[in-house]
Amino acid sequence: MFDKRFRKTIREFSMLRAGDRVAIGLSGGKDSCALLQSMVQLKEKLPMELVAITINEGIKGYREKTLKTAKRECEKHGVEHVVLDFKEAADMDLDEIVRTKKDDIPCSHCGVLRRYLLNKGSREAGANKLATGHNLDDVAQTVFMNIMRNEPARLARYLEPISQSSKFIQRIRPFMRTPEKEIAVYCMVNGIELDNMDCPYAGFAFRGQVRKILNETEEKYPGTKFKILNSFIEMEDALRAKYSVDAKLESCKSCGEPCSDGVCMFCKKVKLLK
Amino acid sequence: MIIMELILDNEKRELEYQGTIEQLLKQLKVMREEVVIKVNGELSAETTEVGSADKVEIIKVVFGG
Repeated sequence: MFDKRFRKTIREFSMLRAGDRVAIGLSGGKDSCALLQSMVQLKEKLPMELVAITINEGIKGYREKTLKTAKRECEKHGVEHVVLDFKEAADMDLDEIVRTKKDDIPCSHCGVLRRYLLNKGSREAGANKLATGHNLDDVAQTVFMNIMRNEPARLARYLEPISQSSKFIQRIRPFMRTPEKEIAVYCMVNGIELDNMDCPYAGFAFRGQVRKILNETEEKYPGTKFKILNSFIEMEDALRAKYSVDAKLESCKSCGEPCSDGVCMFCKKVKLLK
Repeated sequence: MIIMELILDNEKRELEYQGTIEQLLKQLKVMREEVVIKVNGELSAETTEVGSADKVEIIKVVFGG
């Protein structure tokens, strides 16, 4: 059932084709490890190359364990593994950023740096697709969060950028229809180690509150998360049509990566943090 | 008195209980969406009935980050 849904989602959204070179965002957590295993198994039927990319934010007491898991899973499956460090890319790791910018929500920095490195790292690894382990819960939370924050433009570009650039690696989310709990069960059945702690900065994130709301609602009204996802898929074309008019793409004056306005978010962040 | 062994948050305790896992989770105020259950070492659905001599493990699987 798990594999069936995974493969059906890939087919439904035409996520993969033979000959793809796919970067897998591998944090070492349960979702990305399950994704790695599922992609390795799929590769037997659909010829493609895989390379795993792990982003090391440098969160002490948290990231070291999952880095070890990521390395072990890559060795187990014989998949090439690339590790990219915040410290190397931005001169600061996340712990240092949090110490420096005490009033900021850590996730606001982490997300920008992580997405930048995943895109750039995937491209430099020669990948034409980037697969992440985002599951149904993640996607439903993101949709809900963007509605609650009145950010429909972000929703418009959630599944893929509105403006195309050869420097943007197409993102795919093969687990987007798979509930997070099912991924945990898959891991337990397949001997994949489960994460057992929150990111120490997770408590600052609005997402935690949204997760709680959705999980409470799902208990009372089963199927809520699927309905949120399906509603979003129905709305997506209209959102993209509305927000594509103003979307334009340039190259960052500082690093050359694609951006919408002169200097990319990553370079703006790095300048701000120094 | 129906005593079963319960493991929650890595802590073992004994509990007087007989009923489904789903009802147990409600009683303990544990969110069903965030945990996986093992009964006597086997993964089990929330509809499973448990009671005396059962060892129930409630494993948190959803974390932030």
